[in-house]
Amino acid sequence: MSVELVAPGCEVLNLSPLVIENVKDYFHVHTYGGLTRFFEGLRASRLLGTRCTNRACEEHRIWLPPRAYCPDCLRPMEWVEAPQRGEIFTHTTVEYPGSNFKLSTPCPLISVSLEGVCTKMMSYLKDGRPEIGMKIRAWFRTENPTHTILDLAWVPA
Amino acid sequence: MITFGEGNLRIPRFGKPVYIVAGGMTDFRKTYPEKATEELAAEALNMASLENDLKVSMPEFKRLVNFCVYSQFADHFGDQLLAAARVHDALGFDPLGNFEVKTGGATGGHAVLAGAMAVASGYADVVPVVGWERMDEVSTRQGNSYIASAACKNFESELGWMYASYYALMAQRYLYENQVPRETLAKITVKNHRYACSSPFSQNPMKLTEQEVLENKMVSDPLSFLECCLMSTGAAALVLADEAMAFKLTDRPVRLAAICSGTHTLRTADRRPMAVLRLPHEPENLYRDRKWDWPGFSAFLATRMAAYLAYQMAGIGNPLEELDLLETHDAFTISDIQTYEDIGLRPYGRGREFIESGEAYLGGKLPTNLSGGLLGAMHAVGATGIFQIVEVLWQLQDKWAKFHADPKMWERFGKVMPGDIENLQVPNARRGAAISHAGTGSHVTMAILERA
Repeated sequence: MSVELVAPGCEVLNLSPLVIENVKDYFHVHTYGGLTRFFEGLRASRLLGTRCTNRACEEHRIWLPPRAYCPDCLRPMEWVEAPQRGEIFTHTTVEYPGSNFKLSTPCPLISVSLEGVCTKMMSYLKDGRPEIGMKIRAWFRTENPTHTILDLAWVPA
Repeated sequence: MITFGEGNLRIPRFGKPVYIVAGGMTDFRKTYPEKATEELAAEALNMASLENDLKVSMPEFKRLVNFCVYSQFADHFGDQLLAAARVHDALGFDPLGNFEVKTGGATGGHAVLAGAMAVASGYADVVPVVGWERMDEVSTRQGNSYIASAACKNFESELGWMYASYYALMAQRYLYENQVPRETLAKITVKNHRYACSSPFSQNPMKLTEQEVLENKMVSDPLSFLECCLMSTGAAALVLADEAMAFKLTDRPVRLAAICSGTHTLRTADRRPMAVLRLPHEPENLYRDRKWDWPGFSAFLATRMAAYLAYQMAGIGNPLEELDLLETHDAFTISDIQTYEDIGLRPYGRGREFIESGEAYLGGKLPTNLSGGLLGAMHAVGATGIFQIVEVLWQLQDKWAKFHADPKMWERFGKVMPGDIENLQVPNARRGAAISHAGTGSHVTMAILERA
């Protein structure tokens, strides 16, 4: 029996101190679990949030991003349609994103205020220049979806 | 949680007093291939045990230790899971118990909190707390991507893979609500880079002008490169002890009067409006006519919570009057202004006055980030919260010059002490505070140190 090297070795980047390449080449899987309906919804141009059904709970507004369980009373939540028109609460324009960013830059990020929703979801403005208070409507990437949050964007209303 | 129950605001107590007896650190660099992680940790602990005038030798010191706490932010960076086991082994502490703490950017602060809990409970009486980060194995872009994987991976990370952008969303809103001139923001980074020039540990000492900051390229508007913290490699260490051991080890122990923790939702998006949690020195009607939601995107509830608890635990009425120096987690210029408000140096909306008034400078009422901070000195994440407390410790022990103004310390790191080094020792400093901060305010600790 003799053992051979069957995968490539490491490239040397510097001799002293010895610094070698440490290449990563693997993939993870990721489950959306109980939030699957939200991401399914995007493909059907639906914006789905969740709402607590417990009458005794102090929060009855819609959560978006959705949650499987109400953080106030820990009861399971129900799915509801969230409004698809709202306004920009705040914004920035990404010039130098981190690795793995899948959109072109400059890319305006926005936080979205929606009537009846207790949260201010982060998203991006697909067209136009962002301003605080600007009226916007939802846009869905139904063709070539990424199956990520990038399938939801907003455009001037 | 948007309303508090009766148990939620209980002021923490230590079962017995907790002291800090020694501190140490490496210098901080963008890349540090000359030294492996466990070597950096050993150097920081060596400085703590050998150069802080302890009354025992290194072998004696090691024989007194009974528990260790380690602090590293992200296994991604060093690509070594259970790095703490490797460090613990390298420091020769096996088979003593240890654990590693992970709370993002506030990991250092929480590691000190964990060590303090061990001492305060009587579980241990001599506890080294050692933190590090090795951020130089990947490019800056990949590093930003790793850091952004601490954001919500379903709903945030894909949107930029960049924490500066998540802060920029808060910054834009803060500026909309409070109209802070860019010149004021520039002053913060000019100040901290300048103080970094007087520290041999600093990664990025720079003598900047406000104009250079104003003309700097944007990373994500309104934040420019010079307004964003560093990415560093290095380590820092502290030694905690109970009262008996503290006085056995040193003539100049510093008491950890308080260290308290607060949190808020990982996603800034999920922060629902609530009543302002008032600090003890804020009058009842201070926010009666407040126009904007609180905390919204312009305040950090986690910081306010930590300060609310820490001031009462330490018996501080008015921080601006009763603290002599402060280290904030100045990850970004604007988040520093938000922090001034959260910890009550000014009411909400008026944080800019703290820097504009000159109070934040040496010679002012509450000199802030004399270490150079995260903008000028370092942000080796797992080390950061410990680094800040080491700097406060040395100030309270009147040892700033010993560690910063000795030419040999500069030579150790291959540097020459500048001829125009500023003496940044705060005269007669008795009480100092340090803020350790994670995410867009997901975890925060406030530590208050007092000369014993």
